Amino acid sequence: MTPLPRLSRRTPSRDSAKHTFLGFTVTPLVLYMAFWTLFPMVWGFVLAFFDYSARRAGGPILGLGGDNPSVGLQNFQDMLNTAPDAPLIVRQFHISLKTTLLFAVLVLPLNLAITLPLAVLIDSVHDRLKGVFRTFFFLPVLAPSVGVAIMWGYIYHPQRGLLNGILGQLSGRLIGVSWTGDESLMILGIPLALLAVIVAYLWQDMGYNLVIFIAALQSIPESIRDAARIDGAGPWQLFRHITLPLLKPTILLASVFTMISSFQVFDIIQVLTQGGPNDQTRVMVIDIYNNAFRFQRMGWASAVSIVLFLVVFSISLAQNRLLQTEWEY
Amino acid sequence: MRNAAMTKRPARARNMRRWLAYAILIPASLIAALPFVWMVFGSFKTGREIRQVPPTFFPEQFTLDNYQTILSDKDLPLGLFYRNSAVIALANVAQVLFTSSLFGYIFAKFEFRGKRVLFWFILATIMLPSQVRMIPGYLILAGLGLLNNLAGMIVPAAVDAFGIFLFRQFALSIPNELIDAARVDGASEFRIYRSIVLQQLGPALATFGMLTFMFNWNAYLWPLIVLTEQDVRTLPIILTWYSNQHANQIHLTMAASVMVIAPVLLVFMLTQRWIVKGITLTGIK
Repeated sequence: MTPLPRLSRRTPSRDSAKHTFLGFTVTPLVLYMAFWTLFPMVWGFVLAFFDYSARRAGGPILGLGGDNPSVGLQNFQDMLNTAPDAPLIVRQFHISLKTTLLFAVLVLPLNLAITLPLAVLIDSVHDRLKGVFRTFFFLPVLAPSVGVAIMWGYIYHPQRGLLNGILGQLSGRLIGVSWTGDESLMILGIPLALLAVIVAYLWQDMGYNLVIFIAALQSIPESIRDAARIDGAGPWQLFRHITLPLLKPTILLASVFTMISSFQVFDIIQVLTQGGPNDQTRVMVIDIYNNAFRFQRMGWASAVSIVLFLVVFSISLAQNRLLQTEWEY
Repeated sequence: MRNAAMTKRPARARNMRRWLAYAILIPASLIAALPFVWMVFGSFKTGREIRQVPPTFFPEQFTLDNYQTILSDKDLPLGLFYRNSAVIALANVAQVLFTSSLFGYIFAKFEFRGKRVLFWFILATIMLPSQVRMIPGYLILAGLGLLNNLAGMIVPAAVDAFGIFLFRQFALSIPNELIDAARVDGASEFRIYRSIVLQQLGPALATFGMLTFMFNWNAYLWPLIVLTEQDVRTLPIILTWYSNQHANQIHLTMAASVMVIAPVLLVFMLTQRWIVKGITLTGIK
């Protein structure tokens, strides 16, 4: 008879203990996220419909209105103005959108073309050396991207740079190519400065996918590959018909992460070229940063960041689609 | 006989492939290390040698002067900037690990009103590029007087949506019996979190903690916006500032870069096991 009342007393008190615990933890979380996450999100979207500068006083609510007037959809309508005589900030937006897409579209295949074979090679060496090679290629991921950019600045330096030095040695002449500063230099219609920035970015970024691919390769049982070898499969066939299909989900996921982060590139470009020469490396985050914090056009910058959001979001959606079809079979 | 031949041939082929792999990997890793090597060599060259055309690869006249110049530069109190970076990174690791594990556990093991909406919102913020919140975030800090204040880097960073999501996944695998047993023993809810949940999440805490530290230590864009006065700046900001100031003395900026990059790289190298584990586990960038 004694346990029953004890139990029935204990359960409500236990429930109230849980209640108190949740009250003291979840309530602050909700308040915190409302203020530091939801509020800035909403504010960011609202700003895109205003001509806003933090330097102007504006109306009583968040400085909106008054000297910071509402412009409705004007910012977005301006973005659609593709005339050659469109205002400079509109043309710069177009350049930044194009440059960002070009950057991401070039980075992804180059990244995979380096990291996949490299991962297969590293996976095939002696176990003890795997870690050594992985560290070598992974190290740049750990370095601050600012440091990486400065380092590459020393390589691209027109007079004192390593690259021109090597080319000079090989050709026996003095080479003074300005890798990141001459807007007239193009390869296949792509500005040389953009390619130079991409190389530096790849050098830092490839370690991510490399370790992901090495981990995925190690999870493929050796028995599957041995079976294929006994059936007479060569290394290429093995890679093409066994390794690649088994890696496909990992490759897809890594591709999406690579895409999304390359759309948000800033550090390396800001330090190496600041978006130059002549806006040839002006990506969207550089455009947002310059408009918002150098020229105080925060309304316009917010509108640009919404476009960036839409681009990134649509890629995330496409990723979900792809992964779902992947799971089906 | 036939058996032996069959096992021998793949083994020999495997060795062949290995040597081929080394033949490609060794030069490739040397090329990958070249930017580091170039910078380190450059930091030991004299100002005269660095201006030579064509440039030298190995320092002809090895010197430590560049490091001495930097260490005695009164405009560059490196200790202060190391301290600023460390304060921000350590504070954020501590609070992010606390909130991620606590709320990951709560979302995994508790039912409450509005839980689904709240969790959906957290997932949505992961998908949102941080640049969308950047401008209002700056305006809020300006309104609170937290610009040019280390607190401006810490206060808005207490909750990491991805961290909560990640730790929820880990906390799901904590056996309910373990938690219920502690409840029967009369442990308070917070005590259960502190002594059972944290213990169970231990390895994930180490991994995610390293990633968070690295992310904060290397951050550039947000501190560039928030910390514009010299004495509150972090190492990445100060490094770009210094190399802009001394653009014509790259022997000095190379030494400064080494002093900023090398120590942290060493720490990360020693702990890279956890970082690699974290990346392969989460795909985080």
